[in-house]
Amino acid sequence: MIPAFNYVRPASLAAACAKLASSGTHAHAGGTDLLGCLRDGVFAADTVVSLSGIPDLRGVRKNLDGGLLIGAMTTLAEVAADPAVAAGYAALAEGALSAASPQLRNQGTLGGNVCQRPRCWYYRGDFHCARKGGDKCYAVKGENQFHCVFGGNVCFYVHPSDAAPALVALGATVRVTGKDGSRSIPAAQFFVGPETDYTRETVLAPGELVTEIVLPPQPPGTRSTYRKIRARGSWDFALAGAAAVVTVAGGRVTRAKIVLSGAAPVPWRVPEAERAVTGQRLTPQVVRKAAAAAVKGAEPLAENGYKLELLRGAVEEALLRLA
Amino acid sequence: MAHDHDDSDAEDPKGVSRRGFFTAVGAGAIGAATLAQAQPGAPTPAAPSDDPTKVTLLVNGRRRRLLVEPRWTLLFVLREKLGLTGTKVGCERGECGACTVLVDGVPCYACMTLALEAVGHEITTLEGLMRGEELGPVQQAFLIEDGLQCGYCTPGQVMAAEGLLRANPAPTLEEIRLGMSGNLCRCGAYAHIFKAVEKAAELKKAAGR
Amino acid sequence: MKTPELYFVDGALPETAAPEGDPQPWTRTRVVGKPLARIDGYERLSGAAVYPSDVVLPDMLYGAILRCPHAHAKVTRVDAGAAAKMPGVRAVITGATPAADLRWYYSRTVFTKLFDPLCRFAGEAVAAVAAETPQQAWDAVRAIVVEYDVLPFVVDEHKALEPGAAAVQGDDNRVGEPETYSRGDVAKGFAKADTVLEATYTTAAEIHTPMELHGCVASWDGPRLTIWESTQGVYPVQQRVAMLLGMPLANVRVIGRYMGGGFGSKLQADKYDLAAAVLAKLAARPVKLFLTREETFVCVGNRPPSTMRLKAGVKKDGTLTALEMSVLGTGGAYPAGGTSLVDWLVRDLYLCPNVRTEMTDVFINGGPSRAFRAPGHPQGAWALEQMMDALAAAIGMDPVELRRKNIPKVSQARGNQPYTTTGLDRCLAEGAAAFGWREAHRRPKGDGAVKRGVGMAAGLWIAGGGGPPSTIVVKLFADGSANLNMGASDLGTGTKTVMAMVVSEELGVPLEKIQIENADTGTTQYATASGGSKTVPTEAPAVRAAALAVKRQLFEIAGAELKVGAGALHIEGDEVVSASDPKVRRKIAELEGVQRRGLLIGVGTRGPNPEGKVVNPFVAQFCEVEVDTRTGEVRVLRFLSANDSGRVMDRLTYEGQVIGGITMGIGLGLTEQRVFDRQTGTMLNVNWHDYKIPTAMDVPAEIVSLPIDVPDDEANTAGAKGLGEPVTIPTAAAIANAVYDATGVRVTDAPISPMRLAPLLAAARRGGER
Repeated sequence: MIPAFNYVRPASLAAACAKLASSGTHAHAGGTDLLGCLRDGVFAADTVVSLSGIPDLRGVRKNLDGGLLIGAMTTLAEVAADPAVAAGYAALAEGALSAASPQLRNQGTLGGNVCQRPRCWYYRGDFHCARKGGDKCYAVKGENQFHCVFGGNVCFYVHPSDAAPALVALGATVRVTGKDGSRSIPAAQFFVGPETDYTRETVLAPGELVTEIVLPPQPPGTRSTYRKIRARGSWDFALAGAAAVVTVAGGRVTRAKIVLSGAAPVPWRVPEAERAVTGQRLTPQVVRKAAAAAVKGAEPLAENGYKLELLRGAVEEALLRLA
Repeated sequence: MAHDHDDSDAEDPKGVSRRGFFTAVGAGAIGAATLAQAQPGAPTPAAPSDDPTKVTLLVNGRRRRLLVEPRWTLLFVLREKLGLTGTKVGCERGECGACTVLVDGVPCYACMTLALEAVGHEITTLEGLMRGEELGPVQQAFLIEDGLQCGYCTPGQVMAAEGLLRANPAPTLEEIRLGMSGNLCRCGAYAHIFKAVEKAAELKKAAGR
Repeated sequence: MKTPELYFVDGALPETAAPEGDPQPWTRTRVVGKPLARIDGYERLSGAAVYPSDVVLPDMLYGAILRCPHAHAKVTRVDAGAAAKMPGVRAVITGATPAADLRWYYSRTVFTKLFDPLCRFAGEAVAAVAAETPQQAWDAVRAIVVEYDVLPFVVDEHKALEPGAAAVQGDDNRVGEPETYSRGDVAKGFAKADTVLEATYTTAAEIHTPMELHGCVASWDGPRLTIWESTQGVYPVQQRVAMLLGMPLANVRVIGRYMGGGFGSKLQADKYDLAAAVLAKLAARPVKLFLTREETFVCVGNRPPSTMRLKAGVKKDGTLTALEMSVLGTGGAYPAGGTSLVDWLVRDLYLCPNVRTEMTDVFINGGPSRAFRAPGHPQGAWALEQMMDALAAAIGMDPVELRRKNIPKVSQARGNQPYTTTGLDRCLAEGAAAFGWREAHRRPKGDGAVKRGVGMAAGLWIAGGGGPPSTIVVKLFADGSANLNMGASDLGTGTKTVMAMVVSEELGVPLEKIQIENADTGTTQYATASGGSKTVPTEAPAVRAAALAVKRQLFEIAGAELKVGAGALHIEGDEVVSASDPKVRRKIAELEGVQRRGLLIGVGTRGPNPEGKVVNPFVAQFCEVEVDTRTGEVRVLRFLSANDSGRVMDRLTYEGQVIGGITMGIGLGLTEQRVFDRQTGTMLNVNWHDYKIPTAMDVPAEIVSLPIDVPDDEANTAGAKGLGEPVTIPTAAAIANAVYDATGVRVTDAPISPMRLAPLLAAARRGGER
């Protein structure tokens, strides 16, 4: 049951940013992650700042450069169903469609999806873990089957978003606005791993809001996909997954980006796997090599070694879909 | 519930009483939500508060005025304050779908919707699908195909199906499966639910809606 | 056999009088057996049905319970002073509240207090609050200060037996001596075998999580208490609450006309009933106390986890020579049948002269188990039915044929008492034919990474015959419409519909003219809790007897008025008709005698079961799966369930039970698993995201129900046996066998999630490459 909070619904972005600059405030976009966190006591909110009164944050538009602009308050369902997204950025459409459940996709927003808090059961549960100001990560010696195999450091969660790996792979930019103005951040630099700061997941400063996702135009011959593996067909976050974007010319891959989900505290790019396919035809052998390269250097915990098989499988099947 | 009354016939065109109320609590931003008159930048109290706010919700075509606390969900208000217990409570965390309602025709979890966020939107609950005392076509289809067992997830299933069919009047089996994948049924009636949604599509088509 | 203990926790059954001579079995039926929609479908679909959690009373408060966050701890101090002064708080009760100083029984001899200072699992009740809103009640719960002396804990049943393990109930963590069973000589049996296999199988603890939360609304009128409870049985709740509060049964009324699922977890009263009653008394206001979803994962039951070591011997011709099984399980922190019936299928499903089983139930610091849809059986099937598959492969015999080689006609574990009927062989043979087993089994598995396979498994359910007591009242109104009054709950299985069909069958009243009053101790007859797949075979004969009692009176009246002997009449539609001269007929509504009496009342009771015989339902299931061998993802493509549950009562709800049982079995086989944190002993996946029950994406749309529709006329006067439990018994094992067929990898640990299967497949690949 959610503790009491104040609620404000500013009518402008500036007013919202001003509110959110003070401590104890939390933004409410779709509310699907926020209300869960409040219920579980992950953090408390003195004031919930609703973003639903701010105009112009919702919708998919063509950008002047031929790319797309997606408002942060666009729901995941709208992202998934948008013809332009599906046509040019399939990995994002598939990622958005594979997230959560239909109702949550109708409520949850793309901005909220990339800003959601970790889904670690210790973080969400009644454990005073490092990310919540405690002195340890309970997953290290605990039940870590759903935790990370890359990038863990002090904290070992996996980034929960299915859209984020696609955004990173597609070279998206995140536009944010704060009380001091706006800035653009490449999606690959938007997410903060625990080695940098284990108390937050994004570079957002207090009072900053994601306003828009900018998708650049993709070179001719580019195709993308997102392969997600989960324990159950709906609601579930990825046990492992891979967003793959390849540009093919003359039958050979000229450019590849492969980003893993369910693997690390941030969407995890695997350059070695990208190199393994670049300049190659996407034959089963090449794809298998790339899959093997994708998990090189992984450091599984006691219970999550299985993820290496799954990540390999996800990369392999994602690339085969693009072959 | 003492605060609640149906005022569909008693709309106050001047909104005097409500304006007076907002002045009293100083919650300008919420006022914007309720009155569609932007009053940005109004001060808000610092400490968390369970002070109720007077709102008007549009539920099943009726305007319902009542006092809500900021933390009250649409689910809580529907069930415990408006007596609309067709909408069920299963988890209060967006993980089962028993509380599915339509918000502007789109299936949403009422447990993951603050009542204050529902202001200004058209809410449809199971009760809103009835044609007088008769079951609506989706409800009829669930009855015919036995798309239920204990019946507790059923209102949510029906609302999800209604929303699906409004967006896609002739879904394939895979589209039905995906559309119904935000509603748990612990009795495990899914296979009958799929048939019920197929039947509902037929009945809706036959009824021309 | 001690099964029924699980269902009738309050002890000896009251006896009801035997009916006045049994009626003849139905030969042809007009209504029974048809696919009819639920009689209460309108209520359930319109929102008109008031489930207990829907009850909103004037002036009602909301209750909430503070629970111990530690796996094992002693409460040393509770300070509820601040909580009691919080806005909206009307009552706070703790272990120090005199009115809450109540006992809570886990068995006849094991009891604690309602708020016991010693908390043996994370989730034990420590205090409770009633406030004007649920939000305020939870604010107050958070404001109660509790100091705990945290104690060592054990949440792993294997570790519970190790020296130095934390003591849960005493020095020995074993719940009594191991339960053993033996017939014949297993050593000799194994010596005669051509092939002996041995393997260890495990299943995970499952949580019931019915859609409607557990809870109640409690309201006092002076000395009288009314409880609206989401329950499988209003009478067991009434008995328990009255006993613990020291009240006359007449002053405790329990109402549960609708309920949103139970699966065994709502067969009994719970501590929340007492807390709600005490809070309501102290606040002098009604109190609604429903648990949160998170609470329902820890304190209202589970299916015990099991570790099963099974050794089996078979001759080349498929004759089983010996079965030996040892089981370790846990029912949590209190005696709760942690190994209950896990060995039953090994004892009784197949013909086998030499059988030995031993089951060890241990305490851990976990929530107590409760009966969960076919207690023990799906676990036992997971072991036995995978073993049968492995034996068949080892001797090169078709798995269906191996099973058909070993069909018993008697219950070997019950002194070779014969079954009234056994359709096991027909389930296997006709199920295999309908599924296309032979062809599907021989089909290539596929060239790519995605392989297809088929699997099958069989089962029986130890109970499912029902029995006394049950009392039913049927009232026939003067216009020929009827009222059926019974105490039993309808869990969603279609009980009310089936019973109305029985009334309709006997009295000709169409379903829409039958009104049902049920599950209310104030107004309906005694019934045991609905569970154990016994509701239809228990209630239907009593309903039939009650309807027949009405019919006898009706025929006496009509006979006098039509000048025809009562024995020569029958009912056609709404008329009583002479058998010899169809022109002699009169509408029931026009019979003067009926008009004069206003209504006819018939009372029916459930007669005894046949002596010296066993009534069990049987099942065989077949499925086809697809396995992505790169990722370990399993997709169930189709299922077929052949069931011998005696007479089919309602073909539509019958099919519903089948698809429901299979869906639940898919959860056991593929997705569900309780996870404890080894560091703190608390359960980690206390929500429906982390605890994964099947969704619409995880089940096949094609689930075929094939009834072996042979009325069991010896069992009872309806000819029906139970269905709700057999349908979930072989499911998980059938899936495991299909996964093996597809991949050659046998997964002995449930659930078969990608995290388990992918590494096994990878290991098999590596083995194959070597």
